[in-house]
Amino acid sequence: MPTTNPLRIGLRQERVIAPQCLVIFGASGDLTHRKLVPALFELFLQRRLPSEFALLGCARRQWSDETFRQKMAEALGSKVQENSSSWELFVKGLFYEPVDLQQQEDVLRLAKRLEEIDYLRSTHGNRTFYLSVSPKFYGNGCKALSSAGLLNDPKRSRVVIEKPFGRDYSSAQSLNQLVQSCGQESQIFRIDHYLGKETVQNILVLRFANTIFEPIWNRNFISSIQITAAETVGVEERAGYYETSGALRDMVQNHLTQMLAITAMEPPGHFDPEAIRNEKAKVLQAARLADEAEPWNCCIRGQYTKGGAKKFPLLGYQDESGVTPGSTTETYVAMKLFVENWRWQGVPFYLRTGKRLPKRLSEVVLTFREAPVHLFDSTVGQPSSNQLILRIQPDEGAKFRFEVKAPGSGMKSRPVEMEFSYDQSFGEPSDEGYVRLLADAMLGDPTLFTRSDEVEAAWRIYTPLLELIEDQPWKLPIYPYESRTWGPAASDELLAKDKLLWRRP
Amino acid sequence: MSPQLTLQTPLQIPPSEIPSYLKQLWSKGPIGNKGANTFCLLIWQPAWLEQELVRTGRIKGPITGTQPQSLIDAARQVILDKDLPHSTPPLDPKITACLKQCQGDISQQDLRGQHIDTSISTLKPRRLITLAPTLRTGQPLETLVAAYCPLSEDSDKSACGDVVVLRGGQNSIDNGLQILPTLLPKDLPSWLWWNGNLDEAQNLFEELATPNRRLIIDTSLGEPANCLSLLDKKVVGDQAINDLNWLRLRSWRESLAEVFDPPHRRESLNTITSLDIDVEGDHPVQGLLLAAWIASRLSWEVMETSLDSGELLKATFKRPDGGIVSLRLIALPVGNPSIHPGQIVGMRMICELEQVKHSALCVILGSKTSECMRLEAGGMASMELIEEMVSNQIDSVEMDVARLLESSRGTTSPLLAAAAPIASKLYSTSHV
Repeated sequence: MPTTNPLRIGLRQERVIAPQCLVIFGASGDLTHRKLVPALFELFLQRRLPSEFALLGCARRQWSDETFRQKMAEALGSKVQENSSSWELFVKGLFYEPVDLQQQEDVLRLAKRLEEIDYLRSTHGNRTFYLSVSPKFYGNGCKALSSAGLLNDPKRSRVVIEKPFGRDYSSAQSLNQLVQSCGQESQIFRIDHYLGKETVQNILVLRFANTIFEPIWNRNFISSIQITAAETVGVEERAGYYETSGALRDMVQNHLTQMLAITAMEPPGHFDPEAIRNEKAKVLQAARLADEAEPWNCCIRGQYTKGGAKKFPLLGYQDESGVTPGSTTETYVAMKLFVENWRWQGVPFYLRTGKRLPKRLSEVVLTFREAPVHLFDSTVGQPSSNQLILRIQPDEGAKFRFEVKAPGSGMKSRPVEMEFSYDQSFGEPSDEGYVRLLADAMLGDPTLFTRSDEVEAAWRIYTPLLELIEDQPWKLPIYPYESRTWGPAASDELLAKDKLLWRRP
Repeated sequence: MSPQLTLQTPLQIPPSEIPSYLKQLWSKGPIGNKGANTFCLLIWQPAWLEQELVRTGRIKGPITGTQPQSLIDAARQVILDKDLPHSTPPLDPKITACLKQCQGDISQQDLRGQHIDTSISTLKPRRLITLAPTLRTGQPLETLVAAYCPLSEDSDKSACGDVVVLRGGQNSIDNGLQILPTLLPKDLPSWLWWNGNLDEAQNLFEELATPNRRLIIDTSLGEPANCLSLLDKKVVGDQAINDLNWLRLRSWRESLAEVFDPPHRRESLNTITSLDIDVEGDHPVQGLLLAAWIASRLSWEVMETSLDSGELLKATFKRPDGGIVSLRLIALPVGNPSIHPGQIVGMRMICELEQVKHSALCVILGSKTSECMRLEAGGMASMELIEEMVSNQIDSVEMDVARLLESSRGTTSPLLAAAAPIASKLYSTSHV
């Protein structure tokens, strides 16, 4: 069976990226060779990069252009071998410059190198600066670029910043002020790779391109919403970073909150970046922890302990390399929120994320209110509520659960599922989130990037929790849970109080 | 959205003074900037039908070069009044030829080139140069120049452009072409949009279609042989060419691709045995381009072609596995044809394995405005039947042009480049 649909090839009407130079700071790091360069090569293979394109890698290491090219080829491995002639062309646009953003002379040398590349590759002075560096360098990095005049032209220069953007509400505010003093907000692209996922974007299309969903997408028809992002992996080699963030900062404040925003936002007047971001910001400003005064009533933290099979035992978090003994960093969080607006008043939003859970998956589950009168018995006891399950990853798609008549002479109901699967309908894997987001950043399209007020509103939601963890951590204890289980029992109790259960995917 | 007029009232100045005037305009001119750094668009805009309809008083002016509904309605009325076949497309040169015989000398304001459609102006073209030939062949050349700014929400002063109009009889326009090189900045991409029939002014076309220029044509306007040969020639010559007739095929290509997106249907693409395409009237180019696109994507080889009565063309292809595919292109006379001659109204594709008939698949795509009963007839009861409606392309020609200007990578679409030679071969070998 052919792997791709031959009639599909070349049909997508993709927008054209203008000639430009993408500058990656932190080019010797993990993200560059694992995500960014593969994403750029994918764009090249899809003919979406202009011929006047250059990638300038920058880091403190004293690499040459050739070393950088070689390292990237090694990192891409089989992909390069399978597309050797394309790689030959692509690699001609790869350059490297040793730069320490703290050193003014390095930044001035960078400016000169960029001019040379403009001449060499006809990139017309259009530049996208990608800060794939430690978050502590974001502010100074932007300042250095600004002082060298590299952000002077708001139409030709952009800065892409990775998460985390701040550690809490006040640090995010300060960072926003600092970054905005270096350039206009329209030049700042705060990346959240969850927004690059087709399935997250599909929530917008599902809601706003169909007339059947939007009329029932509110408190009158929906009784609760669950948003889950589960990982099977542990902390792996990221203990150093994870110890300073934990699940709340690493996943909830950004990825889960963005999913919440897209699920709960009002329809924008038109498909325009600012119209969409306005609606997202508004819904985040209306979101609150279910009990801000006593957050321990609506939030559960957990930490994985050892587990796994006898043959393949898994370490507990405390035993992982790089983790501080006695660490109280959470690897699991579950919480209940409300969105206090006309549409969602009284509808609980349950968010959970964790490491070392039994399955890797992300999903949004909308549970609809029960029928007002149960006319029919169910073959499984109580008739179940209708559910719309939006599967973000893996097995991307959507599923709708509803009751039908069970075959037989009686009139009993039973639940069935109507399913849409990306794989079965489209048969091709969707692009990695970075492919979409890098292209959008270079196109100057900020729709899928978070604006300063969104970031601040997201931090503000969790401020009561962060303050509590800081000041009175004993009030928000860390519950241990065995690796490869669905989190601590206390998390189930959080929903049991509302006579609900987490969906077991 | 309504088209935009220029920012300034156009100034009529002698051709020789235009370059210096424009230089002055952008160096310290009234709008105080250096102009958009985007592209230049050269438009051949004869609008013969509109000029004749205005002259004979069938529509009111001004002449704009666009195709509003009033113009289409007036053209359809001419078809009725002059006893032309009802299947005559409303922009057919026959209508213009009929009107030429009619009395009338009404003159109206001619705003060709000054009437910028929003879809194009939002792309912020640096310069629009319109060649506007008039009905009076002896009319001397008038050259008009004006600056304009797009009126979009995010418009800013840094993205203004200018319009230049060369208006007059055909000879005076030919003489005026010598100023063109000075009007087209070398560092910006330049496009030629031939907004007219491909059969006319072929020497002028060749003169304007210099190798470095990106071309926009419409292969539904002109003799099929001319259209396909021109398309093929430019593809072979590696010149960037864009065809509006091909662009209008996109919903057919997309709909057909969608049928085979689910992986379990992919295998059927290797077992196609017949392809029937119905087109409006007797202009085969769009139908041929669709067949050629499928053939190129599936690596079919043209075996033989022929002409039968009632059919525009018949052909057989050889699949990579040696199987044979038969193609029939059928002309359907329709009473109220679209403005685009030869638009596809339906297609049927049958995929079957010789040895297992019951696993056959029949795909029927039908246009939303036409019936496809002919395609539904013919012994497909035992096949898996997939029927889909294909949306009509109702975008204005300016919107389609804007789409090309915006999405082009400066080269011919590889899909069109692969399909054009096959379409040309199908036509030329069947019309020997």
